[in-house]
Amino acid sequence: MTRDETIDRFLENVAAVAAETARVRGRAGVDRMIADLIGGDSVVYCPRLTELERSIALPEDRVTDDYTSASVCVEEVFAGIAETGSLVSTSAGGRAVQGGLVPQHHIALIATDRIVETLDHFFSQWGDGPPTNITLETGPSRTADIELTLTIGVHGPGRLSVIAVEE
Amino acid sequence: MTPTVAPIDFRSNAAAAVQDSLLRAALRNATDTFAAKRAQAAACVPLEELREAASGIRSEVLGNLSSYLDRFIERASRAGAQVHRAADSAAARETIFSILKQHRVDKVVKAKSMVSEEIHLNDYLIANGIRVVETDLGEYIIQLASEQPSHIIVPAIHKDRRQVGRLFAEKLSCEYSEDPAQLTKVAQQTLRREFLSAAAGISGANFAVAESGSVVLFTNEGNGRMCTTLPRLHIVVLSIEKIIPSLADLPTFIRLLPRSATGQAITSYLSVITGPRKLGDRTGAEELHIVFVDNGRSSIVAGEYRDMLKCIRCGACLNACPVYRTVGGHVYGATYPGPMGIILSVLLEGMAKAHPLLDATTLCGACGEVCPVKVPLPDLLRRLRERRVEEGFTPAIERAGIAAFGRAASLGGLFTLGRSMARVLWPLMEKLIDPQTLGRLPKPAERSFQRRVR
Amino acid sequence: MRVQLFATCLVDTFYPQTGEAMVKLLRHFGVDARTPRGQTCCGKPADSGGYVRESREAARHFLSVFGANGDPIVTPSGSCASMVKNHYPHLFKNDPGLRQKAEDVGSRIFELTQFLVHVCKAHETGFKGKGRITYHASCQLIRELLVREEPVMLLRSMQGVEFVPMPDAERCCGFGGIFMGKQPEISMAMADEKLDSILRTGADTVTGCDHGCLMNIADAVKRRGADVRVTHIAAVLAEGLP
Repeated sequence: MTRDETIDRFLENVAAVAAETARVRGRAGVDRMIADLIGGDSVVYCPRLTELERSIALPEDRVTDDYTSASVCVEEVFAGIAETGSLVSTSAGGRAVQGGLVPQHHIALIATDRIVETLDHFFSQWGDGPPTNITLETGPSRTADIELTLTIGVHGPGRLSVIAVEE
Repeated sequence: MTPTVAPIDFRSNAAAAVQDSLLRAALRNATDTFAAKRAQAAACVPLEELREAASGIRSEVLGNLSSYLDRFIERASRAGAQVHRAADSAAARETIFSILKQHRVDKVVKAKSMVSEEIHLNDYLIANGIRVVETDLGEYIIQLASEQPSHIIVPAIHKDRRQVGRLFAEKLSCEYSEDPAQLTKVAQQTLRREFLSAAAGISGANFAVAESGSVVLFTNEGNGRMCTTLPRLHIVVLSIEKIIPSLADLPTFIRLLPRSATGQAITSYLSVITGPRKLGDRTGAEELHIVFVDNGRSSIVAGEYRDMLKCIRCGACLNACPVYRTVGGHVYGATYPGPMGIILSVLLEGMAKAHPLLDATTLCGACGEVCPVKVPLPDLLRRLRERRVEEGFTPAIERAGIAAFGRAASLGGLFTLGRSMARVLWPLMEKLIDPQTLGRLPKPAERSFQRRVR
Repeated sequence: MRVQLFATCLVDTFYPQTGEAMVKLLRHFGVDARTPRGQTCCGKPADSGGYVRESREAARHFLSVFGANGDPIVTPSGSCASMVKNHYPHLFKNDPGLRQKAEDVGSRIFELTQFLVHVCKAHETGFKGKGRITYHASCQLIRELLVREEPVMLLRSMQGVEFVPMPDAERCCGFGGIFMGKQPEISMAMADEKLDSILRTGADTVTGCDHGCLMNIADAVKRRGADVRVTHIAAVLAEGLP
């Protein structure tokens, strides 16, 4: 699979699990896209751990360090897996993985060079020393516990937006 | 003297369930939906190759279970987890309770775990003054209704939306609704408060990875992630056979488990947890305890039913089973229902109690076809029926009938079965078989086939 | 060509006309079907009940009757054919002599439609018939003998017959041998659901390759007073011989 095919497959599979997708070239378009996504009255949590996260322009008066009181989480994820359309977050580098879980809306940025083809590519790298937490997130939170009727948004985010950023 | 155990009254339970039209409709809907989704999802992967690979990995682990367990314990301990081994349910319950007591915990949030049902954990903790909040929506419904799960993946499969609506209105004092989305929202809001204020979380695990000492959880709602990352204390309870060798083996099971369970290519969330929160981490419980439950599995793994422990609890055999479809999970009167449940119940709870469950199968073989790890379910069911006969758990009247049948079947030189049926077996059957069943059989023909062709 | 006909205990006792239909069919294709004397039951009821001793007695007898010569064996039952082919070797796993014999006999046993399609090419014959026919796939036939296509090929080849596939044709009808007697409530509920599937096809006839299932289905038809004929595929085909 070429790089482009891998990215396309990833975005297709992300879209197939009821998440929104976008692909942008360079960082220039990212700010506007995020501004549109978070809307006027959201409280935003952004861990500011990566260069990309630190470069995002956010409405500073509505930014919080406490993800439990945020309605939106904007963060860069660690990797993407094309096979399943999964986003990966890990606890490495002091990230609170649950920061992307508690707010109702998760906006995930992913650098396209962090997208791998298959689950095998991803899981073969850890050996005996994975970080404390690796979480794959595939689509928004869901349940079908009542009459197998699909309901989106239970304990985790009801909305997931994925922006693939190409440097 | 050994205490006598009352056998599960499967037939009476089933006879009542068959009359419950609401239950039957819910089961038809669920099993049809699951079967269709599973077939669709399975068509997207090289299923046979994956089943073969998964079966091989599981067999390898079971063949060397104690060394894999030792390795897991070493690696998990190195990552900072505290690992406990419990020989039976009582030991597991006490271990978990003592950890909670030590931390002065008065409330735990719990993610779905079948092994916690097996060891009857909730009742024990509640009796010891701890509030237990089930957080998987299906489990939450079951807990509010004071019932048991009737399916290992969808615990409240037997309830329809109106029953859930009435339950919520009564127990949570909310307005009646029969909209699943609205009901889900009510549960979410109630449970969010519980998550944020709980000092401890208890979860199961789908797999434990020997090489890295990690536990792996597949969830859809996000409650599993909440229970394992928000409280200070996290206790994982799992049975000893859930080990896989390394993280590199995980993709095979990711491709099979959700597909077989719900027809998804992967669950919404998959967490790999390795030890508690470490210096510099902002994720993870401060203290992680892993409690391995044996409950007789060490001896199962050493015997002729070892293959049963390959099971990864996907529930596909329940959805494929025509008997489960007709009566649901409660009638089995055991923790695990359906084909895998019959076998596990006999092995875990003993023949004396569980032998009636061996009649809960037509040996149609549908379960064996869908099992993602190739547990030879029909074969194990048949072998357990043989053991039931050997151990004398079939009715005397049935034994007498079969003995007469055996004699007749081997006396062909004297008279054909057609004639022996008419002359010998039929009068016997008329005495042995209950009138209801007898009425469903045709009468023997005047002249048997063999007399006609003579 | 000569074959040995294994009628099965159900045909011998309850449905002799199925045996006669089979003889007629085979004769049409130039097959000399002999019915070895002294044949009884394959032992399946005892085997699925877990009664190893009794099923061994029946199996030993079967092997002595049908192992006497090397002719192929044809039987109108997927479940009995599978018993001989797949279960006998297991019954004699500790007796190399009988195990060898079981494997030999097992390699020569055919379920009727298997024999008709693969040996007689009966699906190229041009059977005649009328009406709408649907088909129930019995469990051991499809899952143990792996005979899925053959009955359908034969039914589809019939001129004047509209073959209508049954929804969930492969779902068990609830017969299950001793299951029918031990769990009558579930057995009847399953047969009733099978009948619902049959009626949904609008067929006037339902057929199959195992009299056990057909007996259970016929009972559901009788209890409901439904207007459907339940008949073995041997009879359907024999009536349609050109």
